[in-house]
Amino acid sequence: MEIKIISFGQIAEITGKELMGEGTDLDSLKLHLIQKFPELSDKKFAFAVNKKLVQENINLNQNDVVALMPPYSGG
Amino acid sequence: MENYNERYARHYSLSDFGFEGQEKLLQAKVLVIGAGGLGCPVLQYLVAAGIGTVGIVDHDYISLSNLQRQTLYSTEDIGKMKAEVASIKLQKLNPEITIKTYQVELTSKNAWNIISEYDIVVDCTDNFAARYLINDACVLLKKPFVFGAIYKYEGQVAVFNSNLKSNKKINYRHLFPNPPKPEEVQNCNEVGVLGVLPGMIGMMQANEVIKLITGLGEILDGKLLTFNMLNYETFIMDISNENLNENLIPQNKEAFEVTNYEVLCGISTKNIKELNPDDFIEQTLNENTLTIDVREINELPKANFKHIQIPLSELNERLSEIKEEHIVLFCQSGKRSLKAAEILMEYFGNQKKISHLKGGIIALQKRKNEQSN
Repeated sequence: MEIKIISFGQIAEITGKELMGEGTDLDSLKLHLIQKFPELSDKKFAFAVNKKLVQENINLNQNDVVALMPPYSGG
Repeated sequence: MENYNERYARHYSLSDFGFEGQEKLLQAKVLVIGAGGLGCPVLQYLVAAGIGTVGIVDHDYISLSNLQRQTLYSTEDIGKMKAEVASIKLQKLNPEITIKTYQVELTSKNAWNIISEYDIVVDCTDNFAARYLINDACVLLKKPFVFGAIYKYEGQVAVFNSNLKSNKKINYRHLFPNPPKPEEVQNCNEVGVLGVLPGMIGMMQANEVIKLITGLGEILDGKLLTFNMLNYETFIMDISNENLNENLIPQNKEAFEVTNYEVLCGISTKNIKELNPDDFIEQTLNENTLTIDVREINELPKANFKHIQIPLSELNERLSEIKEEHIVLFCQSGKRSLKAAEILMEYFGNQKKISHLKGGIIALQKRKNEQSN
């Protein structure tokens, strides 16, 4: 299933700001992303599905939007 | 009207704010940690608004490169302490409130006493060690805190540890349970920042503080707002539906005070000696010492002392060039030199004495400014 992904900060510099990914659940989407962008494996970021933080694996549905959010520290 | 003060006339006449809203601000005690890019606008607007007691924590000196965004400071202030200059300027802006300064680095040893005197904390720091320290202290002391952070053209704002709207208190560790390691993120000294961005994000933080105190509007309670200044896109994500591993936060004051947040963030590493600017200069004069600039070629400012250059990106291939026993490393902010020190440590083990300049060439310049003033 194709899932819309939006990225922020340092992660967007690797993946681009918007892209389509493949996955039926969050774990398979993560795997797909890391295969496509190996650099992501040593970067820190959180996942939000439809603007809600998700830490455990959940099933993804058509039209879900997954955000990749890194921590910012500048001040 | 009793206690009418012309200074706040525009607040009194504002619907849903009025005299009552102003009284709440005057009763409030807010601690601003960091008086840099975010701290300057936060302080200016909170002081102007009439927050009764404002605390400023900062141990840094004003440098020329601060002035493109840290709008409380003037060229003549270079070399002076930020907290002191900020306090003088802010007191002129509003002499009717109390301003307290803490010209110390916030550590797990002093944070408890400082934070416990305030109702709300504003995190305007620029590093993860301080952010996790503030997070944990506020959780333990049950203080709400307003988070703000920037990266290039984007910024984040959130209100943590407040339970105004729900029963569940959300903190930064719900979002990122553990601090990132230095190589997992970049800091602002290395990536640069457009001056207006911390202004915009800082003003959002000040706004959240005022809303928290007065109960006005909706605060970003357990929500993370990410703002892009290039296209004004705003993304708000809800972080309140996840559970937290409570064990990540020290259980009590005693456990908190012995937590070393710099070590947690991988900033301080065993056996790699950190040098302050004075010790660094002394070391570079020693003829048995090899001083290495690990920045990329052409990075400024250039070093005006004896050194060789091996960019971090080439270090792994050029390890055999390093013959000396005493190695001193430096870079812009101290992050890459620490990384380089780790690489050398792994390769040479204890055969060599390895140290690096904490805070980088930026810290060195600050020290020079300080001495010339």
